[in-house]
Amino acid sequence: MKLKALHLMLTLVFAVSVVLAGCSGGTGGSQGNSGTQTSGNTNSSSNSNTSTNTNTPAPEKPKEKVKITFWHVWSDKDSGPINERVAAFNEMQDEIIVEALGNQDATKQLTAISGGNPPDIALTYWNNIGPWADAGAVLSLEEFIARDNYDLAQYVPAALERMVVNGEHYALPLSMSMASTLMYNKKAFADAGITAPPETLEQMFEYAKQLTKRDGSNITQIGFIPDYPWIDNVFWPVIFGGSWVDENGKLTANQPANVASIAYQRKFYEEFGDDQIAKFRSGMGQRGTPQDPLLTGQLAMMIGWEYNFAEERADDGPIGIAPFPYPEANPELKGGGMVSPRAVFIPAKAKNADAAWEFMKYLLGVDSQVEFAIASKTIPSVLPALDDERLTKNEAMKTMWDFYERAKSENLQGFPNSTYINEYLQALSEETEKALKGTISAQEAMDNVVKKIQPLADEANK
Amino acid sequence: MAHSKLNTNMAGIRKRERKALLTGLLFTSPWILGFLIFQAYPILMSMYYSLTEYNLFSPPEWVGLKNYAKLFVDEKFYLSLYNTIFIVVFGLIPHLIFALTMALLLNTNVKGQALYRTIYFLPTLVPAVAGSLLWMWLLNAQYGVINQILGYLGLYQPNWLVDADWTKPAIVLMGFWGTGTTTVMYLAALQDVPKVYYEAASIDGANLWRKFWHITMPAISPVTLFLLIMGLIDGFQYFTQGFIFAEASQSIGGPENSLLFYAIYLYQVAFSFLNMGHASAMAWMLFVFVLALTLLIFKTSAKWVYYGGEK
Repeated sequence: MKLKALHLMLTLVFAVSVVLAGCSGGTGGSQGNSGTQTSGNTNSSSNSNTSTNTNTPAPEKPKEKVKITFWHVWSDKDSGPINERVAAFNEMQDEIIVEALGNQDATKQLTAISGGNPPDIALTYWNNIGPWADAGAVLSLEEFIARDNYDLAQYVPAALERMVVNGEHYALPLSMSMASTLMYNKKAFADAGITAPPETLEQMFEYAKQLTKRDGSNITQIGFIPDYPWIDNVFWPVIFGGSWVDENGKLTANQPANVASIAYQRKFYEEFGDDQIAKFRSGMGQRGTPQDPLLTGQLAMMIGWEYNFAEERADDGPIGIAPFPYPEANPELKGGGMVSPRAVFIPAKAKNADAAWEFMKYLLGVDSQVEFAIASKTIPSVLPALDDERLTKNEAMKTMWDFYERAKSENLQGFPNSTYINEYLQALSEETEKALKGTISAQEAMDNVVKKIQPLADEANK
Repeated sequence: MAHSKLNTNMAGIRKRERKALLTGLLFTSPWILGFLIFQAYPILMSMYYSLTEYNLFSPPEWVGLKNYAKLFVDEKFYLSLYNTIFIVVFGLIPHLIFALTMALLLNTNVKGQALYRTIYFLPTLVPAVAGSLLWMWLLNAQYGVINQILGYLGLYQPNWLVDADWTKPAIVLMGFWGTGTTTVMYLAALQDVPKVYYEAASIDGANLWRKFWHITMPAISPVTLFLLIMGLIDGFQYFTQGFIFAEASQSIGGPENSLLFYAIYLYQVAFSFLNMGHASAMAWMLFVFVLALTLLIFKTSAKWVYYGGEK
């Protein structure tokens, strides 16, 4: 009888201990939270320096390698170029070993960072930096930059500005995506008797009419769709010289230039018909396949990014490229376009921030970015690389040459990074869509956006 | 003597009962612990978070009922609620009627009955994502089969997935395809209806419609109640199909936010805007809606649900 009681006691103790273990797991989470608070104080590099020193038995092994993890977004298929960079860094020095891990999209990074177990360094899309930095998840790089006298002037300004949140650099750009190009189907142009790509937006609208064919009321070929491949709420205002926020934190999305950029897009819908465009569009081939509408000529012109038609836009290929047209009344806006860089950052709770910074400096250096650009056919985010002969004299990179040249334009812009960036972009998309469909006017749409988002901006600027 | 013996007996029973209870608890402990740790705790925490501003990284900041107050002035909150109620009303009820019709047909004594039943259940086995992608082909405005058929019939061909007025009807249409489970449950209920009722009705001279309305419907009403409530709960959490359809238009809410269902908006607030407090408040509002509607249905059910011939 007593033995049974003992058994029971033991099992009970076991059960209770399991419960407690569960609880401690729970509190572990909240400890992680309080860790964020303290990490704000331990941000200084000297602190993390001493901690690594005390951890490693200095006298025996003076050159114990620091292992850091680097997360990026590329899948196995596309991670060749970044892996080359990591391997080169690991070979070049013998203090730090970088382990790269791909396929880490925003959600995964977010989970790891909020769970208190982040990588030492990570690559993500630039628009995550604002909200993450505001939430205290990203280490400000200002101290590293000041300590090393790190030269920020070498970066393409439009790419670097995307990394700034509340006046501080929270990340640095590794290569950049750029939309400042018009891509067109050469045959469609020839068939319509058009000999040169349009220079101004007004010309483009006229050409688009000439390039549009109908069978009865149904469109069979269309000159241009302003919201193809998507509603771009950054590209169009940039082309018209618009902006989104002024120095005083007042939102400017409803200023004339921004409104004009939406009204211009609406003109295409008025000209070709809302339903007709919608219907024709749903029958267009899929982007990036042999049925791509620009390749088949279903679509004659589109906004071009550097990764579109990398081969087809060769001199003897079916796709032509030209600088994207500018508003006739504003020739000073020539060469304008949108830049969206990839951001490399150090999470606030990274264990080896110093080593991560060393790797970051290497990765974003001119040589490294040139090599990366060659391997991945991308645009480097540092100005010296844009003139590097390994790129500009490299025949294999010929279809990128125009892009390297245009990347130097002073009229490149991007969307300001902020804590409310995703809400702002979302509101812009929603209201722009209404204006494109003609439900409301362009001015009303942008007024709505400002009305909705200004309170968020005020809160962020407090 | 007798008294004390009784007493020890009682103690023995009590001990045995207690032991049985403890053993029982021990054996169910994996589930109980799982429930406490992975469900009860997060549910309570979300209640707490709903009263805070919380972005996952920094510690939650108490704001009282601000998140709830914000919901009532948020037009997207109402829009998402409207979209969801649209799916619940125009999706659930037609789907129930359709499933019942199918069940009635599959319940008739025809050759190859088992084969038909299998065939009509098959689409339910297709995963929601695969099914949605398939339907996007069928619903394509230019080349889709559905519009081609409508064209032959000389009917209006909507821009199903692009036109904000037609995206929700498109989803309702697709929903008919996945009513297999509902059909099977109705089928089971139909086979439980005692044959004697029909015989008696036939003797009284009732026609088919009368038999259906006065015998079949009341007899299967408990199943209808169950399906209605489950469908309501499912409908309010509608996510996958809307998410996939919206992706085609490159934005999370679909054309003009016509596919911004409550759960999708909640996802956006939580993971795109990182407003966990706001999102938790939305989750609790959803709970309140579903609870209120369920109670309402239960209340009215006294009038139309029959258990074994009695209300």
